Amino acid sequence: MDDVTRRAFVKTSAGAAALAAAGTIGVADADADADAKQHLHGHPIVAWIGDPRDGKITVMSGNKEVTIRDRELVRRIARAAR
Amino acid sequence: MSSHREAPATSKDPVADNTDTYAFVSPDQPDTVTLIANYLPFEAPFGGPNFFEFADDVVYYIYVDNDGDGVPDITYEFNFETVVGNPNTFLYNTGTIDSISSPNWNRKQFYSVTRTTGWGSQVVASNLSCPPCNIGPASTPNYPALAAEAVHSFGSGRTVFAGQRLEGFYIDLGAVFDLGDLRPFEKLHIGGMANSLGVNSTNEFGVHSIALQVPKSDLMRSQRGHDWRHRDAVIGVWAAASRSKASIREPGGITGSFGPPVQVSRLGNPLFNEVIVPMGQKDLWNSLTPQTDSQFLSYVQHPELAQLLPVLYSGVFPTLANLTAARADLVAILLTGLPPGVVPGFQNYTGSTYADELRLNVSIPPSSDPNPLGLIGGDLAGFPNGRRVFDDVTSVELRAIAGATYPLVDKSYTPDAAAALLTDGLTSANTSYLSEFPYLGTPQSGYNTAPLSAVS
Repeated sequence: MDDVTRRAFVKTSAGAAALAAAGTIGVADADADADAKQHLHGHPIVAWIGDPRDGKITVMSGNKEVTIRDRELVRRIARAAR
Repeated sequence: MSSHREAPATSKDPVADNTDTYAFVSPDQPDTVTLIANYLPFEAPFGGPNFFEFADDVVYYIYVDNDGDGVPDITYEFNFETVVGNPNTFLYNTGTIDSISSPNWNRKQFYSVTRTTGWGSQVVASNLSCPPCNIGPASTPNYPALAAEAVHSFGSGRTVFAGQRLEGFYIDLGAVFDLGDLRPFEKLHIGGMANSLGVNSTNEFGVHSIALQVPKSDLMRSQRGHDWRHRDAVIGVWAAASRSKASIREPGGITGSFGPPVQVSRLGNPLFNEVIVPMGQKDLWNSLTPQTDSQFLSYVQHPELAQLLPVLYSGVFPTLANLTAARADLVAILLTGLPPGVVPGFQNYTGSTYADELRLNVSIPPSSDPNPLGLIGGDLAGFPNGRRVFDDVTSVELRAIAGATYPLVDKSYTPDAAAALLTDGLTSANTSYLSEFPYLGTPQSGYNTAPLSAVS
């Protein structure tokens, strides 16, 4: 998923209500960022956090994946998963 | 089984279970090599209404290593798509299927072939039709003709087929998995029953095959491989299947696959993961490429079955019982190939990298009088020089593990007499094959199959 920017991902995921550690992040929300829509074409994405301690999130869409590091986002997701 | 349900994870995922892999110089097209990868074990021919098919969410591969490093130099990737004609009927077919484009066939499959080398990837064929499964005289009255329609040419001199075939691998599973019982020698087994004929447990079952026939030059590292003595004459072959890294299931029967493909099954030499690799590492082995197989070296050097045979057949294998040295013969057969000078007129050595691959010397011509026992039967064109569809790999590997091939590396070793006789009592006559591509036989129809009518 080369066209997924960290900014787009963060904005999109910020609109999600509650995310499990291996949750699905949809982009169908009407409030979703226009930039994210442009890049993601409305396709669903999956974010996977293998170890919350390392602050990494692997984001998958279609048959591609990219791993980003965002300790704050991981912390928020992990808290939501409790 | 060769690799049917051989690991905990694949036993629960049949569409991704790579059951057999074959690689041989095509007997009727000796300038070409045929590569076959089978999936979906134990297809009961009557298994409708949703008959067997490849999975749209599995990626299937055939790999070729032509420089001996255990890394693929040529990859053939197969991706399938299922198209339902009429979703408002429960029927697989709504009438007789007299061609693979018949509107009466309600659940068609199509696929693409992508070839990847160091130069990049190219879709070399697409929108190719699979045949339906063989259902019965009312639905598929001329199945051989249907299957023939699904043999596709692409490029120049290249042929591909993907669909149901008759299982070509034969083995007496019921006995073998009953504590290593071999019915012809039951009187000698600790079970102590009377000797009997072998029973082919795969009799009349189907399997899904991907068969590819390409010019040798598509696979060899260089034209020097036309000389059987040259290392470039040897290719290493294995097959695999991958699933997406993540799968999401939602209410309403909606599923989604996300992320890159992750390998869940592979197969080079028959029975390697089945018999050599221990239970706790089988799923791991399936996820790896051959380049990392050195971690399994000790299991080849000291196979568990070689220790069990003298116990299960007390007094029959006294020499094997005392053979404690690392089994360099099995390492050569399974992990490196046989170097020149071991078997006159033959080599399939790929170097010092330990990698489980079917090693085929493409410049050894097909045999005019094939022996299913392959190399140990004096037939240089058979297993473990690649593997033909009819090769009796069970007997070959049983005999090798029992010590019959140890003299290849230690001339002073005299195997137990029983080592040269081991068999599960079956031969290639227990199933049937075609003399031309795709070589595996016509699958049984559901109508004509009686459940569990295994015959010896």
